[in-house]
Amino acid sequence: MITHLNSAPTKPERVALLGARGFIGAALRKQLDVRKIPYLALTSSDVDLSASSAPDKLATLIKPSDSVVMLAALTPDKGRDVATMMKNFAMMQNTCAAAGKISCAHFVYFSSDAVYSAADALVTEETPPSPQDLYGAMHHTRELMARSLPKVPVLVLRPTLIYGLDDTHNSYGPNRFRRAAQKDGRITLFGGGEETRDHIHVDDVAALTLRCLLRRSTGTLNAATGVSHSFHEVAEVVAKQFKTAVEIVKTPRAHPATHRHYDISAAIKAFPDTRFTGIEQGVASVHREMLGKS
Amino acid sequence: MRVGFAGMTHLGVNSAAAALARGFEVVGYDADRNAIAGLRRGEPNIVEPGLPEVLQKHAARASFTADIADLSRCDLVYIASDVPTDDLGASDLAGIRQLIEGVSAKLGQGAVLVVLCQVPPGFTRALALPRERLFYQVETLVFGHAVERAMHPERIILGCADPAAVRPKALEQFLSAFACPILPMRYESAELAKIAINCCLVSSVSVANTLAELCESLGAAWPEIVPALKLDKRIGQHAYLAPGLGIAGGNLERDLATVCRLADERGTDAGVVRAWMANSRYRRDWALNELHGAVLSKLEDPVIAVLGLAYKQDTHSTKNSPSLALLAHLAPFRVRVFDPVVPASAAAHPRCHASTSELDACEGADALAIMTPWTQFGALDPVRIAKTMRGKLALDPYAVLKASACRAAGLEYRTLGGT
Repeated sequence: MITHLNSAPTKPERVALLGARGFIGAALRKQLDVRKIPYLALTSSDVDLSASSAPDKLATLIKPSDSVVMLAALTPDKGRDVATMMKNFAMMQNTCAAAGKISCAHFVYFSSDAVYSAADALVTEETPPSPQDLYGAMHHTRELMARSLPKVPVLVLRPTLIYGLDDTHNSYGPNRFRRAAQKDGRITLFGGGEETRDHIHVDDVAALTLRCLLRRSTGTLNAATGVSHSFHEVAEVVAKQFKTAVEIVKTPRAHPATHRHYDISAAIKAFPDTRFTGIEQGVASVHREMLGKS
Repeated sequence: MRVGFAGMTHLGVNSAAAALARGFEVVGYDADRNAIAGLRRGEPNIVEPGLPEVLQKHAARASFTADIADLSRCDLVYIASDVPTDDLGASDLAGIRQLIEGVSAKLGQGAVLVVLCQVPPGFTRALALPRERLFYQVETLVFGHAVERAMHPERIILGCADPAAVRPKALEQFLSAFACPILPMRYESAELAKIAINCCLVSSVSVANTLAELCESLGAAWPEIVPALKLDKRIGQHAYLAPGLGIAGGNLERDLATVCRLADERGTDAGVVRAWMANSRYRRDWALNELHGAVLSKLEDPVIAVLGLAYKQDTHSTKNSPSLALLAHLAPFRVRVFDPVVPASAAAHPRCHASTSELDACEGADALAIMTPWTQFGALDPVRIAKTMRGKLALDPYAVLKASACRAAGLEYRTLGGT
C-alpha cells in the first residue's frame, strides 16, 4: 500500500537516476523525455557507487529538490556470491549517505520480487519478505537501508519479471525465449514450463514509476500486471511471432513447479486508471521492435 | 417485573423490544435526548424489520428516559450499549465502564445487573460490583434479524461468578420467559463463548470465500456445492456458506482482533484467525478488481452504478461496508449511487450522483455493482437494466439477480462463486 504526498500529479523539479544506463533506466528516461521532466542520468562511469568517495561525489551531483531513483545494482548474472552482495550493500550505503546528507525530496528504491519466498504463490505488498538467496536478501536489506533515511519520503518498488527488447540479463522467460527462437528456432523449457509467473513490460514499469514520481508516493508497491501465465504459454506466444515454426522443447523436470501470482489491488487503489500491457500484446510489440532494429 | 436497558443503541433497543414482546415492563435509558424522543414517538433511529411495530404494539408497557435515576425502579438492568471499535477492531470500553458506573450507582437494593454488550474475557470479573448480582449475557443479534433473534434466542449463555449458584429470582423469571435452554458458565467462558461463535461463523465464510474463488477459476459453481455441504450433519442447514466481500459490521472484526491480542499476550497460536482476516481483506477488493479489469483500465471517464451502501441488507449500518470501501477507490470516476435507506452522502464521493431509484443509478452507466443484497434489488428486471445502461458489465457478488436472466438480457454477469 502506498500513500501519495502530492494530492495531484506534480512534475518533480528533477529526477536523479542512479543506474540510468540499465534496462529500466533507459525506459524511464524515455518517459521523462516525453513528459519533459528534467533528469540527471548517472551511470557507473559518472560515479562508482561502491567507491568510498561516492557519498561526497554524489552529494555534489544531487540536489535537495531531486527525486532520486536508485536502479543501480549488481544483478545475479554478475554474481550470486557474498562478495557481490557486499558490493551491492556498499553501493546502497554510499547512496543513502548522500541522499541523507542532501535530504532529497523523494527516494525511489528499485527492489525485486526476490524478497518474497518462492513458496508464496499469491503475493501482495503485505506478504512478509522471506528471501531465499543472497540476491533477495540483498534487496530486502537495501529496502531497509532506504527506509532508514531520516526525513526522506521513500518508495520501494518490487518489480516482477520484466521483459523488453533491451534487457541484457537474458533470464528465463520472454527475453530468452525470443532470442533462442530467433537463433535456434527452438525454445527449451524447464520441465513442461508449468510454472506460472507475472511478466511485466518494461514500459509499464517505467510508466508506473513515473506515476509514483508525479504523486511523490511512499510505501511499498509491487510492479506487476496481476495476470500470470505459465512459461509454456509464454513460449507459445513468443513462437507465434515468428513466420517459421519454432519448436518448444520440454525437458525432464529437476525441481517441483512453483507459481507466482500478484494481487495488484494496491496498485489499482493507488492508480485506479492504470493499465498494463497484456502478454500477447507486449511480446508482439517487442518482436516488432526487434524486427525494426535488425 | 420491570426490566431496564441502559443504552438505546442497536443492541439496547432490540433487546428492549424483545422484553416488551415477552410481556415485561421496560425502562429504556439513554443520555441521548434525541434518541429517547424518537423512541417515545415510536420512531427508533435504527432500521430493523419489525422493530417499530413491536415498539408500537407494546408502547403501554414501555417508558423511555434520559434520566438514569429512572433505572432505580427496575428489578433487573441490562447494560446494552453498543461498544465502538476502531479501524483495527479494537474496542473502546471507556463508555461502557462509565455507563456501568452510572447505572450501578442508581441500582435498587437487590436489583441485578447484566452486562449484555460485547466485552473481552476478564472484563466482567474485574468490575467492582457484588458478584451474586452481576452477570454477563451473550448477545447474538444479527443485523437485519435483530428483533427475531432477541425474541427467540436458540439458547441463553449466561456468565456467572459461580455457575452452580442459585440465580436471583428476577433474572430467573426474565430468562425463563424466553423458553430456551440456559447455559450458565463462568464469566470468562461466556465472554469467550461469544467470540467462539463469531470465530466459527467467520471460519465458515472464509471456507466459502476460498472455495468460491476457486470455483470461479475452475468453472465450478459454488451454489451447486453448498446444498451438498448443508446436508452433511457435521456442517448443517444453517451454516454460513455464502461467499461475501469480506467481514463487515464491526462485531466479527472486533472478536478476531480480540483473539489475536489475547493469543499474542499469552503465546498461543492465532495464525488461522489472521488468515481469516487476510482472506477478508482480499475478498473485499473483488468488485474493484473486476471493475478495473473490465472497465476502469479500458474506458475513458467511465460511469459506475453502485446499488447499496449499507454493509448488509435490512440495516442502516455502514460499518466496514464493502460498498463504501469500493467507492473510496472510485474517487476519480463518475458514480451513480442508490440505497433504500442510506443516503448517498455516506459515500463522501467527489463525483457522486445521488440516484432516486435503482434504474436512475443505472442510467448511462458503463458498469453496475450491486454491493448490498437488499431484497428489493432482486425484483429488478435485467432487461430494463440492460436498456438503461450504456455498458454491459453487471457485478452481482451476492447473486441478487438471476444469472440466466441477466445473460439473456445481454448483460455480462459476474458473481462470487461462479454460476
